[in-house]
Amino acid sequence: MNNVYNKSKEVSLLEILDRVLEAGVVISGDIVISVANVDLVYLGLRALLSSVETMEKLSGSPKIGPLQEST
Amino acid sequence: MLIYVYCITNKEPNLNGAKELVRGLYFISEQGLYAVVSEEKEEEFDQANLEKNLSNLEWIKQLAVLHEKVIEQIMEQAGVIPFKFGTLFNNEQNLKAMLVEHEDEFKTDLDQLADKEEWGVKVYCDKEKLKQTVDVQNEEIKKIDDEINASSPGKAFILKKKKEELLDVVLSKTLNTYIQESFDQLGQHCEESRLNRVLPKEVTGRKGEMILNAAYLVAKDQVTRFNQEADRLNPDGKEKGISLDVSGPWPPYNFCLPRAKSRGLSANKKINNE
Repeated sequence: MNNVYNKSKEVSLLEILDRVLEAGVVISGDIVISVANVDLVYLGLRALLSSVETMEKLSGSPKIGPLQEST
Repeated sequence: MLIYVYCITNKEPNLNGAKELVRGLYFISEQGLYAVVSEEKEEEFDQANLEKNLSNLEWIKQLAVLHEKVIEQIMEQAGVIPFKFGTLFNNEQNLKAMLVEHEDEFKTDLDQLADKEEWGVKVYCDKEKLKQTVDVQNEEIKKIDDEINASSPGKAFILKKKKEELLDVVLSKTLNTYIQESFDQLGQHCEESRLNRVLPKEVTGRKGEMILNAAYLVAKDQVTRFNQEADRLNPDGKEKGISLDVSGPWPPYNFCLPRAKSRGLSANKKINNE
């Protein structure tokens, strides 16, 4: 894409989940996985991430959550 | 083997890139439509295992991210209809039947989505910071401040309370105007827009509260204008306490039919920020 505006930086997991889990075409397949409480997934993943992430991010900007781009 | 569906496109997809993400990726075609799919083990999705897997956040995360990445690869080649996470078929025959059943819808969608991209806009507000800005700028508040300074402690106490109330009113007015304006201004550079649920603070992990979560379908030749407008709307950065985040281009998750019923409100609806 020759556009100046592009997904130049890695998008956050939150942005991905906000679409993949909540939007998109819904078709009744033979199996449809429904994630009952999306907020719980977000929350859980945040907790998970912050425990896995290196301390680097946390020490750099203690008030910013691990799910967003730090810059 | 089960068949997991990522997206549908109307041009024979080249899967070389995407296969690096998911090894078993292939496509199934019917009526000029191509479903990009992968084979998954049945055990992983049977009742017992699915329950176990769904409580494993790492499993959901991996699958969700792959889902997005695969679709992004296909999107670079042709228009796509992104499926919601987690749609599977027992066999090829059932999937083909689905393609036949929804053929018209998919083809209409793909026609309408040609040369368009989804862009996301999330607005966050740090109310405490914004209060400080409002504090300095608003004439009425300045007046009360002067009065407070000139009053006895007792009266000053009451005036301070009054000031807090006034601040809240001014704040929510400022916010409402800003949200409405942003949504409308950006709307002028798009084909369609949707308002989505704002995500709670605990979820975003941001200091500011999310006050707008919108999706826009933007014609490719308008993308630069759209982003320029977003830049213009982004108020002098963080000092003001409001920040407008743009992301994209995304597969058109928010603009395909049939979509999740709970998702999104009418785009023309006035926004009420409580």
